[in-house]
Amino acid sequence: MEQLLVPMICKIDKVIQETPDVRTYRLKFKEEGLMEKFNWMPGQFVEFSLLGSGECTFCIASSVTRKGYFDCSIKRAGVVTADIHTLLDEGDEVGIRGPYGNWFPLDDIKGKNLLFVGGGIGLAPLRSLIQYCIDNRNDYKDFTILYGARTSADMCYKEEIKEWQENKSLKVILTIDRPEESWTSNVGVVPKILEEVVKPEIANTKVITCGPPIMIKYTIQSLLKLGFADKDIITTLEMKMQCGLGKCGRCNIGSTYVCKDGPVFTNEQLKKLPDEF
Amino acid sequence: MDYTKQIQEIATRLFAEDKIDVFVGYRLTGFDDNQVPALIRESKDVPLLVFNQKSVFNLSNYLKNDHTRNKRVGLVVKGCDSRSLNLLLTESQVKREKLYVVGIACEGVVDDAGQKMQNCLECMVPAAVVYDELLGEANMERRFIINADIQDMAAKELVQRREYFEEVFENCIRCNACRHSCPLCYCAKCCIDQETATLYNGANTTSSAFHALMTWSLHLAGRCVDCRNCEKACPSHLPLHLFHKWNERVIYENFQEHLAGVHEGDRGAFYKYSMQDPDDFIM
Amino acid sequence: MSVETIVTDKAGLQKFYEAIIAKNETYAPVEKFGKYDFKLVKNLSECDPESPIAKTMSAKPLFFPRSAKIMKYVATSAGTDVSETDEDPLAGKRVIVGMKHCDARALQVLDKVYNWDFIDTDYQKRRLNTVVISTRCDKAETHCFCTSLDYDVENLDAMDVLIVNGNDGKVYIKSKSEKGIEFLNSGVTSHTSRVTEEAAGEELKKQYTAFSASFRLKMDYKSINEKLSKIFDTPEFENVSSNCVSCNTCAFVCPTCHCFKISDEKVKDTGVRYKSYDSCNNGYFTLMAGGHNPRPAKYRRWRQRAMHKFVYYKERFGENLCVGCGKCTTSCPVNISIFEVINQVSK
Repeated sequence: MEQLLVPMICKIDKVIQETPDVRTYRLKFKEEGLMEKFNWMPGQFVEFSLLGSGECTFCIASSVTRKGYFDCSIKRAGVVTADIHTLLDEGDEVGIRGPYGNWFPLDDIKGKNLLFVGGGIGLAPLRSLIQYCIDNRNDYKDFTILYGARTSADMCYKEEIKEWQENKSLKVILTIDRPEESWTSNVGVVPKILEEVVKPEIANTKVITCGPPIMIKYTIQSLLKLGFADKDIITTLEMKMQCGLGKCGRCNIGSTYVCKDGPVFTNEQLKKLPDEF
Repeated sequence: MDYTKQIQEIATRLFAEDKIDVFVGYRLTGFDDNQVPALIRESKDVPLLVFNQKSVFNLSNYLKNDHTRNKRVGLVVKGCDSRSLNLLLTESQVKREKLYVVGIACEGVVDDAGQKMQNCLECMVPAAVVYDELLGEANMERRFIINADIQDMAAKELVQRREYFEEVFENCIRCNACRHSCPLCYCAKCCIDQETATLYNGANTTSSAFHALMTWSLHLAGRCVDCRNCEKACPSHLPLHLFHKWNERVIYENFQEHLAGVHEGDRGAFYKYSMQDPDDFIM
Repeated sequence: MSVETIVTDKAGLQKFYEAIIAKNETYAPVEKFGKYDFKLVKNLSECDPESPIAKTMSAKPLFFPRSAKIMKYVATSAGTDVSETDEDPLAGKRVIVGMKHCDARALQVLDKVYNWDFIDTDYQKRRLNTVVISTRCDKAETHCFCTSLDYDVENLDAMDVLIVNGNDGKVYIKSKSEKGIEFLNSGVTSHTSRVTEEAAGEELKKQYTAFSASFRLKMDYKSINEKLSKIFDTPEFENVSSNCVSCNTCAFVCPTCHCFKISDEKVKDTGVRYKSYDSCNNGYFTLMAGGHNPRPAKYRRWRQRAMHKFVYYKERFGENLCVGCGKCTTSCPVNISIFEVINQVSK
């Protein structure tokens, strides 16, 4: 067990300041050849350690189809993440364990319309899948991304969103919570925009959503109101984790281990869990 | 010492007059003569309340409990418990007007084996010092006793003392039950809690236990009221009173016979400073 | 498997223990401050294999140490390097004597979680290299309720060697596994008085009958488990948890609690990463960076602990996580009894 908890060393290739409190760290394995062997699926996570400060769980925010690196987007929120933001820069080294957890049901969403609903830093796990699906665009039908943030400054991946907007095969809808002067897009919380602006097609559509717990809660309510079936709503859960191996008992919800059976769940599965998240 | 009847009467009255939301007292475990703290919220449960020489646990610990926060609380306190309550009041942790305190002039409580607890034999303040109502006679004169194990410890060379304490720390399992059961440990971020601490890691090593417990005992120096909740909670039965009693003795002898929490508004010895304070005992 | 049982007397049992200690790396309950903990012993006089159950710590730390070093690291501006730690001190061949049945059963239960998906090889190695010798209790103590759970205490096969102090004054030593047979044949016993299982069986049965009659606590496990699995939202959890002081000692002494945390000890550029015990009763156990906590209230954490023991683990791994040893109740500073609580909640 102890060996399984020993991280591999990664070098920080690039640091991108996404928002005032979110940074994306582009990582590469230090050891030759490891990067090529490191394969992950969209939705999986890694244990990221800043040695001496501690270990944190982050989803991988980029797709395996973009070779040679992987991204972790980190919001400054707690003790370790504050240390990460303060102490880590390009060229520094960190420990990585993983990838762990399950992934988005790639087989299920093949040939379907895709609707991504993201909020704030919740776009990170979706980005991995979005990139994956863009790189395999022919496997999917309509492709809609609804992304909301508190303010325009809090939007992550601004450059990439521009690319998505330019891509004619994608429909991108952005929203912020309160009006701002130079903002020309939608204003309002995500569930409202979902119902009033997006008005998604229900049949043959899979919704993938992630965001702050309160947003997920109301988004799922809206989706159900619009007529989506529980099994077509896919989300990824956030839960405190330490080992990622299904041993340390932190991420238990009922008899489910979020780190092994999740973090990706359909609403159908979520409904069966005790109400604890 | 049995105040069961009186306490039940008081609790019934308080509920009837709608003066409290919850009454914190003791009830029987139901299977032996030991007692469990009881948080009574309805007058129908009042008959469960008991009080006798088996009412050991210091209930002022429950003032930091989810179930009493922002509520009007009735509370039973013995002498030592009232001293910790006094400190909590002084340190603005509880509001006096939210409390109805039933003080007991305590004649000493007994341990599981039925022996009078050692701290009761040495007790300086047996009767409650804060109360709305006092049960029993508060006329017990006491003098400061330095008990045998502290004397033994004082007689030891520093090296031997260290050896002894290493043995103690070796048996510590770092569960932090001592800190959690202490009524005066209310810090939201404790310096010895594993997850919130930046000074210590949570590892169970002798050095980490040494470090943590020593710091903890110094944090309580001049505040500890010798209720022995910590010792009762320790699953390894460690003699934790040795640190606390040691500190208490040093402070009593050096700080104008200071005893924690006896006087209303009196802060811990280390929280006030006077130019006359001695410093020759500082390492 | 051999069906032979060695029959001896109290003096013979002492000799058996002496031979074990002389020939093997032996762990046994050693008294300190009135509490027994399993430690490496050199003489029988240091330890008491028949220590009272209420005063004995679990032997779990011999398999799942209270703190295990994961790795050492050096992080300087020149680069970062991690290295494995020194050899595992618990991985060698060893024998544990004086383990109680409940404690031995706990290992059997823990095997499930350590051997699913990612396999805990260290734990597995420690298990493999350990001969567990367990003495059946003669009498239940105040908080014991092992016979009320989902396992068969009489025919428990969690130990390698079983010792029963018969009511007839004789001592029965019986092998319960291949490892146990091998061990009994390794020269630790010179006794030749062997009887067949049938001959010893009657006396063992008698002893068990007397033992099982001595329980104060009895419950119907099946109905409790069924009820609990349906009452997640009962307000009763709030009542029963009200007098808990969240001291966590129940989890630290529990033979089956296996939650842990990972923490770093840092000295300038170097450090050690540890894996140590943690408890779900801690307020910060599920607290996430940013302040979201799925179990902010004490009763929710309490419910998690109770349900994990009596419902979730059973659902997932088919075993009840509580083995009924009563250690949590004995250690509780405010005398909360898990047995009472479970029964009250599912009333």
